[in-house]
Amino acid sequence: MARRALIVGTGVADRIAAGLPGWEIERTPGAESLDLVVWADYPAAACTPHRLTDLSLAEWDEACDRPLRAVIDLARETHEALAANSGTFVVLVPLMASAGGAEYTALASLGEAIRLLAKSLAKTWGADGITAHSITLDPHAFLAARDAAGIAADNALHDPPLGRVPDDTDDIAPIIEWLASGTAAPLVGSSLVVDGGLWMPG
Amino acid sequence: MTGLLADKVAIVTGAGQGVGEGIARALADAGAAVVIAARRAENGEPAAAALRERGHEASFVRCDVTIEADVAAAIEHTIDTHGQLDIVVHNAVSPPGPPGPVQAVDPDVITAQIATSTTASYLFARAAHPHLAANGGTMILLTSPAGMEGSGNLPVYAAVKGAQRGLLKSLAREWGPDGIRVNAIAPVAWTPAMTTATQANPTLQARLEARTPLGRIGDPETDIGPVAVFLASDMARHMTGQTMAVDGGRYLGL
Repeated sequence: MARRALIVGTGVADRIAAGLPGWEIERTPGAESLDLVVWADYPAAACTPHRLTDLSLAEWDEACDRPLRAVIDLARETHEALAANSGTFVVLVPLMASAGGAEYTALASLGEAIRLLAKSLAKTWGADGITAHSITLDPHAFLAARDAAGIAADNALHDPPLGRVPDDTDDIAPIIEWLASGTAAPLVGSSLVVDGGLWMPG
Repeated sequence: MTGLLADKVAIVTGAGQGVGEGIARALADAGAAVVIAARRAENGEPAAAALRERGHEASFVRCDVTIEADVAAAIEHTIDTHGQLDIVVHNAVSPPGPPGPVQAVDPDVITAQIATSTTASYLFARAAHPHLAANGGTMILLTSPAGMEGSGNLPVYAAVKGAQRGLLKSLAREWGPDGIRVNAIAPVAWTPAMTTATQANPTLQARLEARTPLGRIGDPETDIGPVAVFLASDMARHMTGQTMAVDGGRYLGL
C-alpha cells in the first residue's frame, strides 16, 4: 500500500511532491492516517522584499502572523493522523530564518518560528512515535531568482561547494523521504541545512 | 555602570514587573531616562514611581503592545515627555498557559502569544525606527532559550520566541546601514511566571538550579539588567544581530 503524504503549499511544495513518486499525495488536511506532512506554505507577501518600515500591520499579518498560526493549527490538526502511522512532520525553512535577511523580516520571523516549532513538536511527539524536523534551503527555493541571488551573496563567503543550488525535486525530496523512513528514526528534531554548502552553521 | 547611558532615553515594555522592571531599573541606574510601558497602571505606575524615588527620570505609559495605536502613543509619549528615543526594549509577553503539547494549547493562548511576540515586535520596530535612526539607537528583544532549543511543554512559546530571533537578525542586516543595532537577551530569571511555576511545583526550583552551572535562577535587576545596559551602551557598539543567553549556563548547547 502506498504511503500517504500531506504536502502543504505551492512552489517548492509542488516540486517536493513531484519528487515523491509512489506516494499517495494529499494537498489538504483531513486524512485519518498520514506517514508524512511537509509544510512549505509561505505566502507571496513574505517572499517579496520589503523594508519592515514599509509594511502595514495588515501586510505583516499576511506575511508572518497568519501563516504562523496556520502551521501551528496544521500541527494540531494532523497530530492524530501522524500518530496513527508513526509519521514524520517536516517544515521547509529559508536560509534567512537562521542567518537573517534584510527586507525579509517577516519571512525570517515566520521561518525561524516554524523551525523552533518543529524542534518543540519532536520533543513531545516522540512518545507518540512521530518525528519532526526542519530543512533549511537556499533562498532560491522560496524567492524569485534575482532576489535569491542577492540573499545568497549577502550570506556567502564563497561559492557553494556543491557548485549549484540543490534541486527541490531531485535532491531535497529524497532527503525528506529518507527522514520519513525507519532508517532515520533515531534522528529526532533535527535542523538540516541542505543548501549545497552555501552556509555552514555551527 | 553608572553614567554609561547618560543622556539616553529608553522605553521598556512589560516593565511593570519581572524581567522588564529589572531591566528598567538597571537602565535607569546607568543614567537613562526610562519609560515604563505596561498594560496595567497598577503595575506600571509604581514601577515608574520607584525609579523616580531613586532620583531617576522616569514615566509610565499605559500600553497594550498588541494594539497599533497604543504602540504609536507610547513612542509619542516618550518623545513628548523625554525629548528623544535611543533604546527600545521589548520584553512584554503574554502568559504561555499550562505546559503541554501543541494539540492541547488553548487557541486563545496561541493568538495572544503571536500578538505579544511577533506582532508587537514588528509594531515597536516600525514605530521606533525613525527615532532610533536619528540617534544611532538600539533595539533589544527579550527572547528565550526556548526560542533556540525548542520546548516540548511550551511549543507555541518556543515558536514565537524563535520568530523574534529571525526578526532581530534580519533587522540587524536591514538597519545596520541606518546605524541601528538590534540584539536579544535569552534569560532564565525570576519572572512572575517562574514564581508561579515554582510555587505550583515545589521541586522545580531545586531541579532547575541543579542543572544550572552557576546554581541559581537569575535576578531580573542584578543579573539580566546589566546585560541590557551593556547591549544598549557604546561598549556593544560593534555587536548586532546577536542573542545573549543570560541563564547561568543552563543551556550550553545553544
